Amino acid sequence: MNLYRQEMKMNFKSFLIWVLCVGGMCFGCILLYGSVESSLADMGDLFSQMGAMSAAFGMDRLSIGTLSGYYATEIAMIHSLGGAMFAAMLGSNLLSKEEFGHTVEFLAVLPISRRRIVCEKYLALLSYLVAFQVLCTISYIGGFAIMGDEIEMGHMVTLALTQQLLLVEVGTICFCISAFFGKNMMGAGLGVALLFFTVDLMCRIVPAIENLKYITPFYYCNATDIFTETEVSAGIFGIGIGITVLALGLAHWQFSRKDFGA
Amino acid sequence: MNAIEIRNLTKNYGKHRGVTNLTLTVEEGDIYGYLGPNGAGKSTTIRSMLGLTHFQQGEIKVLGMDVKTRTEEILREVGYMPSEAQFYPSMKVKEVIRYAARMRGMDCEDEAEKLCERLKVDREKKVEELSLGNRKKVSIVCAMQHKPRLFIFDEPTSGLDPLMQAEFFKLILEYNKEGTTCFLSSHVLPEIRKYCRHAAIIREGELIRTDTVENLTRTNAKNIRMIRDGVEEHFVYRGNLNDLFRDLAQHNIEDIVIEEPELEDIFMHFYEKED
Repeated sequence: MNLYRQEMKMNFKSFLIWVLCVGGMCFGCILLYGSVESSLADMGDLFSQMGAMSAAFGMDRLSIGTLSGYYATEIAMIHSLGGAMFAAMLGSNLLSKEEFGHTVEFLAVLPISRRRIVCEKYLALLSYLVAFQVLCTISYIGGFAIMGDEIEMGHMVTLALTQQLLLVEVGTICFCISAFFGKNMMGAGLGVALLFFTVDLMCRIVPAIENLKYITPFYYCNATDIFTETEVSAGIFGIGIGITVLALGLAHWQFSRKDFGA
Repeated sequence: MNAIEIRNLTKNYGKHRGVTNLTLTVEEGDIYGYLGPNGAGKSTTIRSMLGLTHFQQGEIKVLGMDVKTRTEEILREVGYMPSEAQFYPSMKVKEVIRYAARMRGMDCEDEAEKLCERLKVDREKKVEELSLGNRKKVSIVCAMQHKPRLFIFDEPTSGLDPLMQAEFFKLILEYNKEGTTCFLSSHVLPEIRKYCRHAAIIREGELIRTDTVENLTRTNAKNIRMIRDGVEEHFVYRGNLNDLFRDLAQHNIEDIVIEEPELEDIFMHFYEKED
């Protein structure tokens, strides 16, 4: 597990920055709720009557005038987007950095199979994504406790699990992209995360493209759906898991057949 | 036993030629030079031997093991130094060296210390602070610290100062005395002549000659400098000397020097394209 340890060490700073930025920002927003509560309550009605936009952000079903509504419609979305961007950034360079950094001729001539390289790097990705989600979720629960607001723990756990799946899916897709290209793929990775986010918003607004919900992982981790117990088709999760498994398999296949140093 | 056996190796990168139908054998205990101009296919051959690239045709056995099926076992027994030595910039030199050893499941602390001392490697420096020459030295330590049975070096001395080049070959000779085989590609002909017993010459992806270095450098060619009919001339003459003298007798020769050709001149015709 030397490669795993090495990857963990090399990406620690980046992890810390993202956890502090995304988790810290969302935690701060929860704590700030007290000072904006009255103005948000006034705006709640207005936001709920913005038609399609309200539907896209879930404000037609939950009021941002309550902490849980504010959390579900605003903060959870920021977390999902920030987390997906972190997953994309991390996943998109894990394999390709060896090629564009010209370190592949150092790594690939050590007596370790390519399958193990893929597995240990992917394990490092998963470890950071789980750590990110767990730390952030704990801080949000802590935020609710500090604010003295009770939160439905079942909803919180469900949201955390679906967000975890989102991070893993986006991270794995970007990990797959990094196996195919020998360049810095961070831009492409962030693009994938933003594209999925936009598709989620669009398919909630435009009925004609509603079926796109099956391909964007942001759809199944929508906090408003979870907090209002709106049923999400199991097929959407199945597709998400299927895409993840397929992306990982493709990453392994491509990395194993690749010519290095050419 | 042969340390390296390559039979009919063909590797192309899409439409681009790599190597074609290349057959090469290196005996265990040898120091073998691999010569050729840029883009001839030297690195492609080496990368195929290490499983870094997948070849279309042929067979490669390293230390008796098939490179397609036993890559990991081969890499355990090989010390490789690429032409462009790169490591993770944020790591310290000592971390890189220790990491390479750990990935082999070995504790090479003593050997690494000895090599760092001989090559004057500062282990506390960060990789991003190293010059090309110093990165090469770290690469040498990583390739040698586990005392492999076979060294494979791709243009190892480029970037090294003359003192370090001499120390590097001294190390090779010491390891070779203990039984390590060495296969190195190079552009530097004098070092091939000085240190290698056998050599192969590759041009445009095809092996054009393999022999002992002694035979490869043996030649009846002469390097001739002269002033003939008032014109200064310099050329390598490969023909019969009597014919040359007969021709010269018909001219006004003001000055003439006939000497052994430079190594570069001997090899140049191997490098040049045939018409």
